[in-house]
Amino acid sequence: MDLKLSLVQLCSKILTKMDRGGSLPGHLGLIMDKEFIQRFNMPNIVILVTGTNGKTSTSNMITECLRANGLSVINNRRGDNLNYGIATLLASNADSNYNIKANAAVIEIDELTLYRQFNNLKPTHLVLTNFFRDQLDRAGEMETIIRKIEEVVKDFKGDLVLNGDDPNIVRIGEANQNGKVHYYSVGEYDKSKKETDEASEGKFCPLCNKPLKYEYYQYSHIGRFKCENDNFGDIEKDVFVEKINDDYSFMVEGYEYHPRLKAIFNIYNCAAVINTVKTLNLNYKDVADNIFSNFEVKEGRNELFHLNKDCRLNLIKNPTGANEVMKYVLSDDKDKNVCIILNDNIPDGTDISWIWDAHFERLNVDSVKHIICSGLRAYDIALRLKYEGLKDKIIVIEDFKEVINYLNNDNLESHILSTYTALLKMRSLLEKESL
Amino acid sequence: MNIKVLWMYHTLMDLYGDKGNIEVLKYRCQKRNIGIEVDTCAIGEEKRIDDYDLFFLGGGADKEQNMIIADLLSRKESIKDALDNKTAVLLICGGYQLFGQYYKDQDGKVVEGLGFFDYYTESSSRDNRCIGNIAIETNLDGEIFEVVGFENHGGQTKGVKTAFGKVLSGHGNMYKSEYEGFMNDTVIATYMHGPLLPKNPKVADKIILRALNKHHKIDSLEPLDDELENKAREVMLNRILKK
Repeated sequence: MDLKLSLVQLCSKILTKMDRGGSLPGHLGLIMDKEFIQRFNMPNIVILVTGTNGKTSTSNMITECLRANGLSVINNRRGDNLNYGIATLLASNADSNYNIKANAAVIEIDELTLYRQFNNLKPTHLVLTNFFRDQLDRAGEMETIIRKIEEVVKDFKGDLVLNGDDPNIVRIGEANQNGKVHYYSVGEYDKSKKETDEASEGKFCPLCNKPLKYEYYQYSHIGRFKCENDNFGDIEKDVFVEKINDDYSFMVEGYEYHPRLKAIFNIYNCAAVINTVKTLNLNYKDVADNIFSNFEVKEGRNELFHLNKDCRLNLIKNPTGANEVMKYVLSDDKDKNVCIILNDNIPDGTDISWIWDAHFERLNVDSVKHIICSGLRAYDIALRLKYEGLKDKIIVIEDFKEVINYLNNDNLESHILSTYTALLKMRSLLEKESL
Repeated sequence: MNIKVLWMYHTLMDLYGDKGNIEVLKYRCQKRNIGIEVDTCAIGEEKRIDDYDLFFLGGGADKEQNMIIADLLSRKESIKDALDNKTAVLLICGGYQLFGQYYKDQDGKVVEGLGFFDYYTESSSRDNRCIGNIAIETNLDGEIFEVVGFENHGGQTKGVKTAFGKVLSGHGNMYKSEYEGFMNDTVIATYMHGPLLPKNPKVADKIILRALNKHHKIDSLEPLDDELENKAREVMLNRILKK
């Protein structure tokens, strides 16, 4: 019996009863005890999932797969992936002696938190999805993040499940000395490209600095690459996705999967899930397909609301994610309004310069009728769009309720692209306004 | 009338949306029927710097910056000629540092700079990286105005004799320092990203004027509709300076 732990657990129970999850209990635990996180006796399977994009979807789908395989699993489902959120997750699922009451823990963890907590969480698996430019102001620079992760995984003896099509991730596989490295990779399909204007990372071989040669790009700098000088990128593929159809069904080892979310980045998430489940010798075929074909991350990831017309809400937080969301928005040529909400609170990233690296010129098409700019940095996004010749379509509306009124009155289908803190607020308003 | 811009290492020294600066220069020239030609220069590419009216070098991550240094130093004479002939220069972050004496990194390794100016840069200790919104006051070619941006640098630049501006809020050349950047009658060098020019159209216009004045004699530019620019600026100035 540990008084501090009991207190944290009590706090968590009360908040859960009030339907408020969040990171407060864990915060309390870490205030009382700096070593709170490392006190827990972790289960036999501890899977950490990190990367810039796709952490939440990937870790949630892994969780579902393990559960469908009969394991009891704890998971920070809501993406509360910093110290406090993780401490809350552990405390609220432990007995009074710090034993986690589950067969497995699947923990989504922020890239920066990873290197601080890696050894404390005693992981058996590390899953890395990708590294794009994101929230650089917290980290300094991306190179620093990668180096820090290289450092922590150097002597890691567990399983590394890595995106073999991201040079920033393959670097980490190369840095590991003693573990079991598994790469997943996605084969060329009809939307793969030979050239790209989206890649801002991965131009050069991290070992010899010679330019990397790409056989094809899938999106951003993700694709099949190789350094002709030292063969960096010549990976052994543990899971290889092929035969992607128009409906985004795909094959791995002769088995066909049918993901619900039809996007290339989601196929990478699925490949990470398949690879992780495969290393555990659990069913990764029909069980996984069943999860993929039903899985929908709600809470602002392509979430559908019914205003007068359909309205989709999507999170944007970096150029790559924003580019992919815009591709989705423009995947049909129906008339629509687009709303972009840019906040710069700490969870959003206080540096908004990334909007200049995203391809907003794509919105300059006839089907996009108006672009509503909102959020704390509404005028910054408006100014950015002005530079894409969109001045006549821009409307700045700072109040979120008025944004919804505008979308309702204009009677067109709409897409809201929002940074994190504004998304939470907008989402609860949309829930109220939905028909 | 036209200006020729040379954008150095645009694929490598391209951090934090700095390419937006080029977009602004293009837009503000085109609106006034000033011809603007933007040329890029990669490692090993032969260019005579003095053929251009404006030289732009942005910042890069440490790794990219290390890749371009040898090539940049090999162009020292060519850049010197351009400077002597009043080519306008805009340097952001890493570009700023490299025009000074040297850069000393975290391991104490000294990387030689172009040495055109007296200042030098030393890597910070872990806790004093300068990150956040910044506002400065500058006196640019006789006009005083406030400039907003976002800074994110570990390097602490010392020995600047003529700063770009006085810090109103933020860090500037060093952690919690009084001055930001470096400036003379042709060069503007700064840590300010954001990118710098979209929200600071007056700085953009001064740079265009400087570039034009390499070969022409022009005092002012036709005003443009800067409503959104000014709104975006005011929002940040009001917030940062808590007016």
